[in-house]
Amino acid sequence: MNCYEAVNTTIEIGYQLLKSGAEIYRIEESMRRIFEAYGITQNEVFAIPSCIIVTIRMDGAEPVSQIKRVYSTTTNLEKVRRLNDLCRCICKDTPDFTQVQQQLDEIKSIPAYSYGVQIIAFALIAAAFTLFYGGNFADSVCAAFGGAAIKIVSYHMKRFHTNLFFTIIISSMTATVLALIAVHLRLGTNSDKIIIGTLMNLVPGVAVTNFMRDIIAGDLISGIIKLTEALLSATAIALGAGIALTVSRLIFGV
Amino acid sequence: MESILSCIYVFIGCFAFCFVSNLRGKMMILAPLGGSMGWLVYLLCGNLNNPIFQSFVATLIISLYSEVIARIQKVPATACLLISILPLVPGGGLYYTMEYCIRGNIPMFIEKAGYTFGTAGALALGILIVSSAVRLWYSIRYFAAKPFRKTP
Repeated sequence: MNCYEAVNTTIEIGYQLLKSGAEIYRIEESMRRIFEAYGITQNEVFAIPSCIIVTIRMDGAEPVSQIKRVYSTTTNLEKVRRLNDLCRCICKDTPDFTQVQQQLDEIKSIPAYSYGVQIIAFALIAAAFTLFYGGNFADSVCAAFGGAAIKIVSYHMKRFHTNLFFTIIISSMTATVLALIAVHLRLGTNSDKIIIGTLMNLVPGVAVTNFMRDIIAGDLISGIIKLTEALLSATAIALGAGIALTVSRLIFGV
Repeated sequence: MESILSCIYVFIGCFAFCFVSNLRGKMMILAPLGGSMGWLVYLLCGNLNNPIFQSFVATLIISLYSEVIARIQKVPATACLLISILPLVPGGGLYYTMEYCIRGNIPMFIEKAGYTFGTAGALALGILIVSSAVRLWYSIRYFAAKPFRKTP
């Protein structure tokens, strides 16, 4: 075993965890435990939502350090679960690094749900939450189309590498416009219920739940970064819907 | 009857959310179940007549549930918490805050903004209390198993 292999593999595991939406303390602890399982006790790991820094030092050798920058994160809880299992397995059996790399490649290649399934899921979320917030059946059908539209818009915006907040503003604006049109054509009755249900798709759930857990674990910097992200996303949702509502009021005077 | 229906809607919504966050296997049933349970707790606490405190109690129950599920199913607690907390997220509050803001109804805007921030704070506090308690419990067990251990 050489320390280059150790650093490369471990930082890759940390990178995949961070990319799949794991908490910061989980990433740092997993990496530290892997190093300790291989007897590298002089290890320093530092992670924030956009970057991981690792330095290790083996006895009688120069320290080895690596930085990995993380640009975009998605939520893939299945990957987090599998990586967590892998870490547990590594700490127990300390297998060879080539073997670990093989399993890591296998985890990396787990496909996400396809675009079509995701569109249906978005539509279902919008429909269910419209009913939940007190809309009637016709409203929920309108909301389903709004939800599907959100996925289509945000998917295509992501292809052009648009930033997260602009994507949210445009998606929320599209959904609101669709809801207002549906109510104008008398397809649905409560525009507010349709809009709220549809916008549940964009709520920054990961950021909200993870920021508090990061803060408890003592990662104040990461907690604050995620809190800012959550607040900005919420503002973007409100802004997009607000623009659409204002414009419709200016034009139709409703 | 209406409350049972709303719990079913929560279940469907949370189930669909599992596809968005790529949750698979048994968790696709367990996590939405937590969401429905949380909403049921919220409704059962209706006598408190205080949505913020009701959300707080429901968050406590959901967080506890996801910690338990996390140990049994060997998944990260967030995987469950993320889905189950959805019905308590103040989506409606956020929308009405914005709506009163653009209508220029300032007293209602401030009321709704206070409600939205209060609910979000209640969720955060609920998660904080449960996860801190669980961490404390595990470190107590860790030290009880091997006494006289130095702090890491």
